Amino acid sequence: MRIRVATMGLTMVVGMLLGMQTGCSKKSIQSGGDAQSSERGMAKSGAPAQSQAQLPPPSGLDAPSATFPDLSLSSKPEDPETGGLRGFDSVSGGKAPSEERLGGGGTMLAKVEPSESTARQIEEIRREQAKEQAASAEAGLRDVFFGYDSWTITEEGRQSLTQDAQWIKANAGALVKIEGHCDERGTLAYNLVLGEKRAKAVRNYLVELGVGANRLSVVSYGKERPFCNERSESCYQQNRRGHVVVRSK
Amino acid sequence: MNRVIIGLMIVLCVVVGAGVLGILDSRATDVFLEATRPDFQKIPIGVFGFQNGGGPEWLGGRIEEVLKADLQRSLVFSLVDLPGIGVKAREVSTTDKAIFKQAAENGVSVLVWGKSGQKNGAKDSELLMDGFVYDSGSDEVVGGKRYVGSTSVVRLMAHRFADELVFRYTGEPGIARTKIVYVAEHGNARELFVMDYDGYEPKQITADGFLNLMPRWSPDRRFIVFTAYRSRNTQDIDILELATGKRWTLVSMPGLNITPTLSPDGNFLAFASSQDGNSEIYKLDTRTKASQRLTVNQGGDLSPSWSPTGREIAFTSDRGGAPQIFIMSADGSNVRRLTYEGDYNAAPAWSPRGNWIAYVCRTAQRLYKVCIVSPDGQKRVQVTTGPGIDDSPSWSPDGRHLTFSSTVDGKSHIYMVDTDGKNLERITFGGTHNSSPSWSPAL
Repeated sequence: MRIRVATMGLTMVVGMLLGMQTGCSKKSIQSGGDAQSSERGMAKSGAPAQSQAQLPPPSGLDAPSATFPDLSLSSKPEDPETGGLRGFDSVSGGKAPSEERLGGGGTMLAKVEPSESTARQIEEIRREQAKEQAASAEAGLRDVFFGYDSWTITEEGRQSLTQDAQWIKANAGALVKIEGHCDERGTLAYNLVLGEKRAKAVRNYLVELGVGANRLSVVSYGKERPFCNERSESCYQQNRRGHVVVRSK
Repeated sequence: MNRVIIGLMIVLCVVVGAGVLGILDSRATDVFLEATRPDFQKIPIGVFGFQNGGGPEWLGGRIEEVLKADLQRSLVFSLVDLPGIGVKAREVSTTDKAIFKQAAENGVSVLVWGKSGQKNGAKDSELLMDGFVYDSGSDEVVGGKRYVGSTSVVRLMAHRFADELVFRYTGEPGIARTKIVYVAEHGNARELFVMDYDGYEPKQITADGFLNLMPRWSPDRRFIVFTAYRSRNTQDIDILELATGKRWTLVSMPGLNITPTLSPDGNFLAFASSQDGNSEIYKLDTRTKASQRLTVNQGGDLSPSWSPTGREIAFTSDRGGAPQIFIMSADGSNVRRLTYEGDYNAAPAWSPRGNWIAYVCRTAQRLYKVCIVSPDGQKRVQVTTGPGIDDSPSWSPDGRHLTFSSTVDGKSHIYMVDTDGKNLERITFGGTHNSSPSWSPAL
């Protein structure tokens, strides 16, 4: 027992030291925002060098924000509201404990006030969606439905997409978006991946039918924007969908 | 050092038949107290009421109720029914030797009582709570606390008192003041909210009007990282500062930008993106902004979860066809598969103790439940059972509980459960959809 306790303490300390060191050495290896050089750096430190070296240069990896907040733990300010515990005060001789004033609630939270700009944004989202829906209905675009856990396009799906492709080719100015959707079974995160696989399967088939890839975009909503909210197979079927939409912009 | 802790250590040591003396001078924090281990003895605690002295009528009862629930959930204490064992008192004072003796003789290790009410001479909204602690091991009143604040912090007074007790008897920070960030349906949108760990005091922290998903805490509790659909057609990974509401975009690549999570030291963001074709795991150095791709294969890789040391990452991959849990070193090397049972295992969450990885497992009946597995794959336990789709398990900072979402009651709500499947508790009740809970670190 004693050994185990001591070992665990030691492991934790060593772990923390190693963790810190890893952080430091990374800093010296990586240079700026150049992902290529950081990958070479990683290869040195024993990562799967072969496959890493063959990677295409990642696009869009540059951080979109000019500045990041400082996230390192050492930057954490002393906060009297959220700070640590002070222990019990002696009350011998009928003495009252010293007063601790509480405010906030442990973690300080800025209040979200739905501002005018938020309301405008929400209204714009609603309007755009309605516009897309109307345009897609007018175009007669058909959706594609998938099996459980599957992103394979069925024969019925191919027929729908053949029609869709004709309309898209005939309307050269139109941009089309394919939304990938899933039923509620499975995890939120994996369903986002599954939704993207479905959307990309639809896009790839449309490209096979001669639609220019530059006119097609994909987005996955996983199980977050279901068409139907009941717990039944017929409802699930409605939600396993590649939704083909005329983009409003 | 407190005799109860010493007694507890002796019990633990005798059970494993090892030396005793060396550990007596070590701090309680060094002892790995796991509430689920069979030889762990909870500390019997008795709570008398908090006498009302001029405050609102509900005050004393509220404090007692919140405190008792906190102590129960701590899994460090077991609540003793004082009247049930014949220990009765209308009012207790620090000199009530008779009551202390009676409680001690009936096996109560710790006694708690107090007062509540209006603060003398203060303006109307100022409330006060006094709490006192007697320890039968040392046969002394160990001390007291006095909290002052407005009506809105009454629950916090009780939470803080509970955390003081847990800290005194284990040397660990309690969880009574922790928070849970989650996604809730709001209008036609899904927005982020933060609530107390017991489901009270929910507060909205985003109002974008579309989809915000998969929030996670920064290790210092100041920030939330999450996926935002800012224009409906693209995803970003954003970071929000809770105190100010200020927001930055950390990642904005073509395709999926999902499952962000900060390393335990806050210096790296691991996330999944499909900008190179299919979903892969990347690591962003938040100081230099350098990115590095960690996974390379044709399958989808997602849901990274850091080990508490920051040296390894558990993740979901469907490289073998169906999603399974894998582990790799934080530089992407040394990848190995962790789960083999069943054909759908996803959403791993490494426990803050390091000894378990929780995840969503699909059972033979095709139910999505919460399972835990040891990082060496040797031990596996299904934690939740029955109907409902369970998702997004997240650990309490003490490693004794999991929060997760489930549709067991129809709509998706947030629950918590002990790692042994006991004490299942629903913690959200309002709204049409609550999901994706993430438990904050301890203070």
